[in-house]
Amino acid sequence: MSSQMEKAYQERLNRYVTALNVGKPDKVPIRLQISEFSAKYAGFTLQEIYYDAEKNIAAATKLIQDFDMDTCPGAPNLWWAPLHDAVGAKYLKFAGRDLEENRQFQYVEEEYMKPEDYDAFIADPTKWIMDCLLPRIHEEFAEPGSFRANMALVKGAAAMVMDTGAKAQAAQMWREQYGYPTSIAGMHKAPFDTLGDVLRALRGIMIDLRKRPDKVLAALDVLVDHNIFYGMATSGGNTTLPNFLPLHRGAYPFLNEKQWDTFYWPTLKKVIEGLWEKGIRTMFYAEGNWTPYLEKIAELPDKSIVFHVDQTDIDKAHKILGGRFCISGNVPNTLLSYGKPEEVSDYCKRLIDNYAADGGFIMDAAGVIQYDAKVENIRALVETTREYGVY
Amino acid sequence: MALTDALAIAVAELEDEQVMSLVKERLGAGTPALEIVGRLQEGMTEVGRLFEAEEYFLSELVMAGEIMKDAMDELEPHLKGANQEFKGNIVIGTVRGDVHDLGKNIVVMLLKGAGYNVIDLGVDVPSDKFIDAIKDSKAPLVAMSVLLTGCQDAMKDIIADIRKEGLDVKILIGGNYVDEIVKENVGADFFGTSASDAVKYADQIF
Repeated sequence: MSSQMEKAYQERLNRYVTALNVGKPDKVPIRLQISEFSAKYAGFTLQEIYYDAEKNIAAATKLIQDFDMDTCPGAPNLWWAPLHDAVGAKYLKFAGRDLEENRQFQYVEEEYMKPEDYDAFIADPTKWIMDCLLPRIHEEFAEPGSFRANMALVKGAAAMVMDTGAKAQAAQMWREQYGYPTSIAGMHKAPFDTLGDVLRALRGIMIDLRKRPDKVLAALDVLVDHNIFYGMATSGGNTTLPNFLPLHRGAYPFLNEKQWDTFYWPTLKKVIEGLWEKGIRTMFYAEGNWTPYLEKIAELPDKSIVFHVDQTDIDKAHKILGGRFCISGNVPNTLLSYGKPEEVSDYCKRLIDNYAADGGFIMDAAGVIQYDAKVENIRALVETTREYGVY
Repeated sequence: MALTDALAIAVAELEDEQVMSLVKERLGAGTPALEIVGRLQEGMTEVGRLFEAEEYFLSELVMAGEIMKDAMDELEPHLKGANQEFKGNIVIGTVRGDVHDLGKNIVVMLLKGAGYNVIDLGVDVPSDKFIDAIKDSKAPLVAMSVLLTGCQDAMKDIIADIRKEGLDVKILIGGNYVDEIVKENVGADFFGTSASDAVKYADQIF
């Protein structure tokens, strides 16, 4: 590793971590959570980045070659499609397989867990996942224990290792050749989202809240330790970078206040605190609007999260959480898609003026940057923040 | 509006078992199915109002949708031949390339509750399906749903295709990242940020 690149790496990392710790670095750090936009910028179709691991990495590399940011956005595909093809995943649709070549991948939401599955799930979630869930959502596991299903387990595990290995190698390459750290290490979920997104789906979970609240609470309890472990395992125990937490069903107005207090928050709080005890900070990626819940979120231990602002009232977020927690985000994705570079610049300046003055602020878009963002607007975001965001 | 009918009240208060037993009881007593539908709609209108007043949340809307679905399944066989009167026809669908239908389904439910005939084209709907449905139904309003900004270009294409056909139709769009900027760029007439907005715009048009 060249000492010059290592120096650049340490500078960027230090800038980023200082802000995460609510300190004031030399400049406002730029951390963009980018997915499919990288493919467009690098000239690849979405089918290519979902299926071709090398192009997927190359797309991210192209971004850090051309834009001066503080973290590498990481490879654009959330899922490497061959991994899911190997096991015949029925719950995902990919460009080139089910969709046109430049369509974003899609998740097919259904009740993959039935109301009558609660008891078995609560008794032994891992066993239930192996015996019931995997066969339901993967063609290749349709007959558990069959030769075909056993081969699918081998293929799926091998593909998982290949994918995580390629991404870990890429992170090392970005560090050594470009002086870039990554923005996150590992991920976890709110127990309510594990149950409400993937297993019971929206309709199912909303009915459960009325019809079988005790089962829901018992299932959520079971998920606390599981989700803490998941965060630990996927980050490899990394305590420098935040652990990504994409938040879904807790946004306003999914749940009424009582439901939020009873079902969403207690177990999520336990997971965040459990990880923080192990030194792992959570990137609280609050998709949608979380304004009504800011006071509750402020109960978390100082610095244990980075609060990411999508459509939450950033003024209130800054007032209630600022100084104790780093705040990130808020450049609207619609502005990045449809706005003019001057408008993006003005927006970034306003964010810096109003919320970054005391440090503890990271520039980012409101939501993950997808295929629709305009290149000149991303450039305006980065260049404005670099020039204007100097302490 | 203060509800007085027991069935309408049961819908508004999300008492699913009571709704079902009242529907069965009234059918048994010879109440015309259409009249029962009318009471259900009154209850749904109140649910929409409570949502707008921020007393009800999505969890309550989903529950209300289930109650309506079960009640309508019970009523369906009795509605054959009955001359249902609607305020008008509305075509709705999630645009090509997008399979999300949670928001759309809630909007469908509220529009039906408000007395509209909703032609639901489902998800991943291409231009020609929208155009055919508008022509067949002569609907003056078409509603389109899209979750993410990444699928909004398809919405723009579909709207352009509909305009090219010269159809006299207003276009309402909705989704998580939909605002004035998006409305202008895709060429829609209205945008909604909340499920109950669709009913407001429909009431303006019909």
